[in-house]
Amino acid sequence: MATHQANAVLPDEPEKATLEGKNKVLGFWLFLGGETVLFGSLFATFIALRDQANGGPTSQQLFDMPLVAAATLILLTSSMTSVMATLALHKKDLKKIQLWLTITVLLGLGFLALEIYEFVHYVHEGHKISTSAFGSAFYTLVGFHGGHVAFGIIWIILLQVSAVKKGLTVVTAPKFYLASLYWHFIDVVWVFIFTVVYLMGMIGGKVG
Amino acid sequence: MGAHAHNEEVRKPKVKHEGPKRHLVAFIGSLVLTALAFIAVAFEVIPAGFTVPFIVILAFVQAFFQLFVWMHMDQKGHEFARISIFAGLFVILLAVIVFVYWVWI
Repeated sequence: MATHQANAVLPDEPEKATLEGKNKVLGFWLFLGGETVLFGSLFATFIALRDQANGGPTSQQLFDMPLVAAATLILLTSSMTSVMATLALHKKDLKKIQLWLTITVLLGLGFLALEIYEFVHYVHEGHKISTSAFGSAFYTLVGFHGGHVAFGIIWIILLQVSAVKKGLTVVTAPKFYLASLYWHFIDVVWVFIFTVVYLMGMIGGKVG
Repeated sequence: MGAHAHNEEVRKPKVKHEGPKRHLVAFIGSLVLTALAFIAVAFEVIPAGFTVPFIVILAFVQAFFQLFVWMHMDQKGHEFARISIFAGLFVILLAVIVFVYWVWI
């Protein structure tokens, strides 16, 4: 197998072994800085508008703690499994990378399923994107995060497919590393979503 | 930034293998912080006015845990990563303050 030959010559930290790999990591952090601002502005909008229910259901009436806790647990665990994939990458073990990334994708799909169930449930309760400022801000922020999860799942699946053909090389290693970074970032954003949107929504009251 | 990357192209001698231990510690730490936040809200164990600041602080601690350990932002060669994330956080802070105190509905 080409994989074994590649493993034999693969340097330590193969994702940063070439200038191209290094630049990809650098560029990706710039992208993550931009993503931080993007989500930050959505958070700011949500915090400003979260009490404007316009006669529709309020966050205290809607949110269900066990569901949010389950989603949080799933996404946190998936972040852990993607860090295991990065550790396997540093050990140059393609089989383990594939195993951990597959688990990550499955957990990501579980998270998305919960979120879709949740949104459908809310719409039945009369909480739509057009119901109120709270509804618009909620679906934009949480939906944008869910969109990022969906994009991450598709990205990792495509990486898995190409890895079967190309194996682990100094070209494919940065791609695995970046997918894992992206997935962690999605989890970091969720930490603030469950805190600011869900937990603070269950307490009620205005921040600041 | 390109010049910066060029300077660093000198190959590092031998990268020591990091074990899964610190990542597992970060995972357990994240679980505990998450559980604390949920418990604080579910059982109203701390005075009402302090719950929001408390869980927001927990969120920041957990986020930095994950950024620095899981995303390797504590390692050298991540100066640019720190700059971009902290610049992003600065913009967020401004946006949140402005939106909370300046929206007149």
